[in-house]
Amino acid sequence: MEYEIRNRPAFANVLIKLTRGDTVVAESDAMASMSSSITLRTRWSGGFLSAILRKLFGGESLFMNEYSTASGGELVLTQPTPGDIECIELKGQSLYLQAGAFVGCDPTVQMGLGFAGFASLFAREGLFRLRLSGHGRLWFGAYGGIVVKEISDEFIVDSGHLVAYEPSVNLRIGLAGGLFSSLFSGEGLVLRLKGPGRVYLQSRSIDALATWVNGHL
Amino acid sequence: MQTEIHARPSASVAKLTLDAGETVTCEVGAMIAMSTGFSVETTTRQRAGAGGLLAGLKRMVAGENFFLNQFTARADDEHIIIGPGLSGDVIHHRLDGGTLIVQGSSWLASGLGIHVDASFQGVGKALFSGESVFWLKCSGRGDLLLSSFGAIYSVDIRDSYVVDSGHIVAFEDTLQFSVGRLGDSWLQTLLSGEGFVCHFSGQGRLYCQTHSPKSFGQTLGPMLTPR
Amino acid sequence: MSSLAFEILQRPEFALLRVQLEAGQRVFSEPSAMAGMATSIELKAGLKGGLMGSVGRMFAGENLVVNTYRAADGPGEVLLAPAAVGDILHYRLSRSRLLLQRGAYLANSDGVEVSASWAGARGFFSGQGLVLLQAQGDGDLFFNAYGAVLQVDVTRDYIVDTGYVVAFEDTLQYSVSALPGLGIGGQAKAFFFGGEGLVVRFSGQGRVWIQTRTIGPLLNWVYPFRPQKRSD
Repeated sequence: MEYEIRNRPAFANVLIKLTRGDTVVAESDAMASMSSSITLRTRWSGGFLSAILRKLFGGESLFMNEYSTASGGELVLTQPTPGDIECIELKGQSLYLQAGAFVGCDPTVQMGLGFAGFASLFAREGLFRLRLSGHGRLWFGAYGGIVVKEISDEFIVDSGHLVAYEPSVNLRIGLAGGLFSSLFSGEGLVLRLKGPGRVYLQSRSIDALATWVNGHL
Repeated sequence: MQTEIHARPSASVAKLTLDAGETVTCEVGAMIAMSTGFSVETTTRQRAGAGGLLAGLKRMVAGENFFLNQFTARADDEHIIIGPGLSGDVIHHRLDGGTLIVQGSSWLASGLGIHVDASFQGVGKALFSGESVFWLKCSGRGDLLLSSFGAIYSVDIRDSYVVDSGHIVAFEDTLQFSVGRLGDSWLQTLLSGEGFVCHFSGQGRLYCQTHSPKSFGQTLGPMLTPR
Repeated sequence: MSSLAFEILQRPEFALLRVQLEAGQRVFSEPSAMAGMATSIELKAGLKGGLMGSVGRMFAGENLVVNTYRAADGPGEVLLAPAAVGDILHYRLSRSRLLLQRGAYLANSDGVEVSASWAGARGFFSGQGLVLLQAQGDGDLFFNAYGAVLQVDVTRDYIVDTGYVVAFEDTLQYSVSALPGLGIGGQAKAFFFGGEGLVVRFSGQGRVWIQTRTIGPLLNWVYPFRPQKRSD
């Protein structure tokens, strides 16, 4: 199964060429267009309760689609926001994804819902996060460009700019500056990331976009 | 008219260079910058390139009317830079007697010689349940500029193809299409979240956009001040 | 003369400014632009409001509200991101002055002073002029655009829709008016959310930076997706 991530990073989308017997799992609404020879099967992913929780808290759809073909065909997968898409090959390790970042994966990848901790909730990252593990390819997207950072000690990230991170990275809520500064700097609460581990940041934030638009309304 | 497209695929603009007497028509608000040698006329709809005044069309948002600016160069080598409202792509399509059906908000500009018919109802409301989207039938000989939300990719259909409703930019009228569901059952369509899709068949070119304005609007909208 | 070590990543669609501060060095930015920073950086806030307050509230000469980042505990990096998707440009001021649209300001080094300027409109739409900032002094200035940036070196007169002006050198003369031809019985104003329909006419010699998107159409488009106020 070949794939190509096109139009990076502005409007990244994944063109997948499936041959007979190939299957790819993708979020509902992720399909932009496809050959008529592609069929889809809708299924709960990870169990009924997990699907409900994912919908309510994870920002993902209730259902996952399995796209396959009997004769071969093409599929274009996309995400709701402009931005980059990255592909990672999981080889037994896990990755945490923020709500809405999941685009698609091989059917061999397991998806679960994990509790992200209250720090994550207060920093507006959501109470739950997706945990992707197993073996296979994973496509995830961002609003903005994706910046990869290896954290060795500690790093501060504004909420809204975190996309994905390895389980070895610990999240802690913090104030951006002193109490006064945090309240008035427009930053407020931030995430203090403690490594070692790899994190994926996005160079824009939907929260910041909403604030900017609201400022004109 | 010469066309240069810059900043693809997300901040795309078209730089058009016109000689004396040449005209380009685009939506009011599309002009970004221009040299000073143009005369500008505002009309409500273009017909047969003559700019007849007809009842304005209701656009999809906030009752905004569909007003057009016609720019005519008074000297050679005048240039104008135009762009669409949203982040997205711009492409140039040359019509030579054929007909292109264009999704309303994807029409950016057309040169003289292009006949734009806004009364076309062929695609049907069902495709965009709840949204008022309109379609334009563009025919004649001349230059057409299309825009999108997302990057534009073209598919030269030989047999059949499926496109999610929010991703159609334009298609040649040699193609047949039907609006339908994605899966085998209504329940599956409802549950899978794909909504309506368009099945194209026949031979012809289809322009798609990689992103759907509706999906982005539904992500951003709830975070904004209530109206 | 202050000189910042910096890099602009992810150009041109989602440009991100990375400034490497030496110990004790400072950089100033638009409030809410901070995307990330090292723990050695001390952040001091400007008062809330700043550029996120509604447009047009600043008075000519009034200093801009900014955040101050200082590498208090050793050198460290600061990552700054604008809200809109688009490019970031660097401009080196050398006892010179640059005029920029209010939303275009991102960051500056010590030695640069950023304050409000005002260009009133002449013609039909008084009060809806161009809201400009001026940056002057010696040092680094960073400004951002919504969309891509086109650079035009004006020699003959040039017309730019006000919503698309990012910055221009103060060697240029400029005037604001309505686009000729626009206006059906004075209704032109009603078409546009955010004061579009006005243009700036530049003359003289100098550089103009133009962006390829503006906020008005975004506001119009997003309107039906906004939650509705419940009538109680």
